[in-house]
Amino acid sequence: MTASPIQMRGVAKRFDSKPVLDGLDWEVGQGQVIGLLGRNGAGKSTLMECVLGLREIDGGSVQLFGEPLDALSDATRARIGYVPQKSDLFEWMTPLQMLAYFKALYPRWNDAKVTGLLDRWGIDIALRNKPIRRLSGGEQQRLSIIRALAHEPELLVLDEPVSALDPAGRRDFLAELIDGVIERGTTVVFSTHILTDLERVALDVAFLKGGRIVLEGDLDDLLDGAANHVGPDARTPRSLEDLFIEVTR
Amino acid sequence: MTSHSPQLFSIVPGSTEPIYRQLVDQVRRMAAGGQLAPGDALPSVRETALQLAVNPMTVSKAYGLLELEGVLERRRGVGMVVADRPRSAGDAGERLALLRPTLERAAREARELELDPDAILTLFTQILKESA
Repeated sequence: MTASPIQMRGVAKRFDSKPVLDGLDWEVGQGQVIGLLGRNGAGKSTLMECVLGLREIDGGSVQLFGEPLDALSDATRARIGYVPQKSDLFEWMTPLQMLAYFKALYPRWNDAKVTGLLDRWGIDIALRNKPIRRLSGGEQQRLSIIRALAHEPELLVLDEPVSALDPAGRRDFLAELIDGVIERGTTVVFSTHILTDLERVALDVAFLKGGRIVLEGDLDDLLDGAANHVGPDARTPRSLEDLFIEVTR
Repeated sequence: MTSHSPQLFSIVPGSTEPIYRQLVDQVRRMAAGGQLAPGDALPSVRETALQLAVNPMTVSKAYGLLELEGVLERRRGVGMVVADRPRSAGDAGERLALLRPTLERAAREARELELDPDAILTLFTQILKESA
């Protein structure tokens, strides 16, 4: 049996004295494509940062692929990709310098994929040699996604990966996610407020509220679920948006 | 026998119908109505997933359910084809039943808009004539 990509047990995280994660248990299985949902400020970014060891937790434990976070091997680290909501790092580098820097950190790096995505996603030769801080928000976000996909991670964590993208850019991203990522059996955790995009790709959803995962399940079952509560004749149809409001209110 | 492209389908994410169910309903309707003839090949899961920008598992799930129902069958080297005798083909009563979910949705919206039933029926008759 292979260990789950993510296993969290009783994770607590406080900012000042305010609890953000409060005894949170969560397990993400191999190959799951799961949307993490919650209100603004519910702690989705914090949860992702705690998963990745970017923030120290105040209690509980996190294991990635069966290894405790504080003793993560380089080999396991290389199996993980992350797109932060907003990255201010490496802004002085050009995209090519930044990608070369990351390439040196990973045992595996798919140059053909990187070049293909740069070409298809409109990061032309001129942009590739400009400092990243002079790229638009959308260009920076696309670059951040390319960086996270280049080493072909087995676990991909995406924090609002399309917030700066226009509809065409979002569709390009979804296509890459479908054909280049999900097809390979990659485990994907992502947060977004664009529920229609989430519905297209996520098979499972998890709702974060009050510092815990309060509801988790197969998205189709959750949407169909209303039928089971009230009987077939009085089915109250609900969309993902209805469900979001119902669960997170 | 025709091979259909993924343009066959149109989905609306964010609605009260899960995407897999929209696909199932569309294939059922098209098979019952004759736009999909017995032996016609459906677009592959991957093509469909890419065209619609949805998870391939969602398309597989829809195709799998339609196979269980006997609307589709898996044919070696071709993929999914419309079954020779789709269960509901020909029977007007069963075809009418396929329309019910869509009309129920329309009826609910009509009630929410507090529209007069006669006005709704007039509009529907008009729409039927327009698209004929």
